[in-house]
Amino acid sequence: MMQLWDVEVKSRKIEIVLILAVFLASLPLILNYGLLILSSFSTEMVTNLDPTSFRPTIDNWILLFEGRLSVTGGVREDVVRYTINTAIVALGVAGVVVLVSVMAGYAMSRMNFKGRSLIMQLILLLHAFPGVALIIAVYLIFRATLPSDIELARIYSFAYVIVARAALEIPMSIWLIKGFFDRVPWEVEWAAIIDGASRLRVWREVMLPMVKPGIAAIAIFAFLAGWEDLIYVRTFLFDRTLATYIESNINVEFAYMPLLAAAGTLYLLPTILFFILTQRLLLETSTGGIKG
Amino acid sequence: MKRNVFSTNKVQLLIFLLPAFLIVLLFYIIPIIITVYVSFTPMRNWNIDKYFNVIVGLQNYNRLFSLITRDPVARQVVVNTIVFVAITLVINVLGGLGLALANFFIDERVSTGFRTLWLLPRMTPIAVYGLLWYYFFHGSNIGMLNSIAMSLGLIKKPIAWGQEVIPWGPWSIIIIVNGFVGVSFGMVIFYSALKSIPRELIIAARVDGASNWKLTTNILIPLLRWHLLFVTTWQLLSLLTTYAHTFLLVEWGVVSRTYGQTWALYVFNTAFGRGEQDQGLAAAAAVILVIFGAILGWITVRALGFNKMITKPKGDI
Repeated sequence: MMQLWDVEVKSRKIEIVLILAVFLASLPLILNYGLLILSSFSTEMVTNLDPTSFRPTIDNWILLFEGRLSVTGGVREDVVRYTINTAIVALGVAGVVVLVSVMAGYAMSRMNFKGRSLIMQLILLLHAFPGVALIIAVYLIFRATLPSDIELARIYSFAYVIVARAALEIPMSIWLIKGFFDRVPWEVEWAAIIDGASRLRVWREVMLPMVKPGIAAIAIFAFLAGWEDLIYVRTFLFDRTLATYIESNINVEFAYMPLLAAAGTLYLLPTILFFILTQRLLLETSTGGIKG
Repeated sequence: MKRNVFSTNKVQLLIFLLPAFLIVLLFYIIPIIITVYVSFTPMRNWNIDKYFNVIVGLQNYNRLFSLITRDPVARQVVVNTIVFVAITLVINVLGGLGLALANFFIDERVSTGFRTLWLLPRMTPIAVYGLLWYYFFHGSNIGMLNSIAMSLGLIKKPIAWGQEVIPWGPWSIIIIVNGFVGVSFGMVIFYSALKSIPRELIIAARVDGASNWKLTTNILIPLLRWHLLFVTTWQLLSLLTTYAHTFLLVEWGVVSRTYGQTWALYVFNTAFGRGEQDQGLAAAAAVILVIFGAILGWITVRALGFNKMITKPKGDI
């Protein structure tokens, strides 16, 4: 195999030119992310390529966790609480998406019924459905069903935002996990069914362990979708998350810019962490398991 | 007897499908019906008690139509949408193809790094991604673009790119910001398709002395026809309906509202924005978007033969 590869790579020169070209195209991304993280450790924004504007400090991070927007004080913001809220939404979305998709995905992959092919196509269409057309009515239902008790309403808003956001991820997740179920050999399932196990037991004890990578993939995508969300959180959730914290403070005059860079970096951390840990999984499945 | 063991039990099937069915019913089907219904009511400021039972017929649609024909701001929404979707689509498809091909020809270890980097915008929290570009295009001298252009001597004083340079300033910004997210979709799909091309084909062409360029135009791109069509139509749908990133750019003043607002964002801002919220009008605009999207989506699914990709479960009799 190695020799075959050697034939293929014709010119080292062309490869270097290509690497350079892709690197140049990536430059805005590298600069943007790099300077955001750098600015969070600096007394002033590092937005140009002048190294003297970087004056190292960790004050931004201290101020952030103390919940202050500027050195002089003023309004206090509970950033730790916002982080927890963001995590609740993200974990909730991941939980709902995984549960619903592994059930429906199994049925779509292994059970034959009338209209199955049509349903799979409709699910694909739902994924492409204009979310903005749904959110008006989804908010209307939210208003109409909101409990009058304040504490109850707060909990309800958490539950609602989780399920509503999960609903957007579920069509693609069903397609994705169906692909994983498709690849499990039928003999495995037959053997269990002949032994007298019910479909539900086969699903739980035989099939689920075999599609673990698929479950991991949809769980990560769903978690990140819940974690990154802004629109649903700002529309439905009474409490603040990191997204709405950043959104509402950007144009506030007393907002101290490097501090928002620190908030952004904090908000970005889990995404980057997941990225490093699951790089391969993300690169292979992020397209929804579509193979031509 | 044997037939019974494998045949699908109706009750079991229902149990497996019930959660998904409920979600689709509550968060897709019922909302679609309500949206269509609301587009026939004078609903405003979420006053459900007052307006939900009032039917005004096609009044919202008439208003929308007369706004587009008479109000310059509403007409600009249509122009923005066409420019934004057309240019970003070309960038996303060709950019994705270019990135995939470049990554295909370079060392796998290097390409993994690049491909991960390009996926990052898609995964980055919207507020953080918006923040990056907020700093990048900021109208003062702290803006990265301004400070770089000034230190190179290209401009003398900072420019508010998304507000002063109209219409191409705000257009370029929303195209760039969404393009960096959209391009990775094509990249991943084209790359995995390129990787699944039998190696013998490529090696044979190499032995015959084909250059990278010849290989690309004569072998690789023809083999990617299905994927090109899929990415194009799918991205077209996504671009028509996307609004979250642009919403932040407009809200934060990075781009001007008049020249940055696309149709989907117009729907959202009309229903949820500052000032008077007009859900009746927003719902009418949303219904038009849905009709466009549904037609496009259905053509896509049929033309690409997704129905042929759904094979029958062979063990289920």
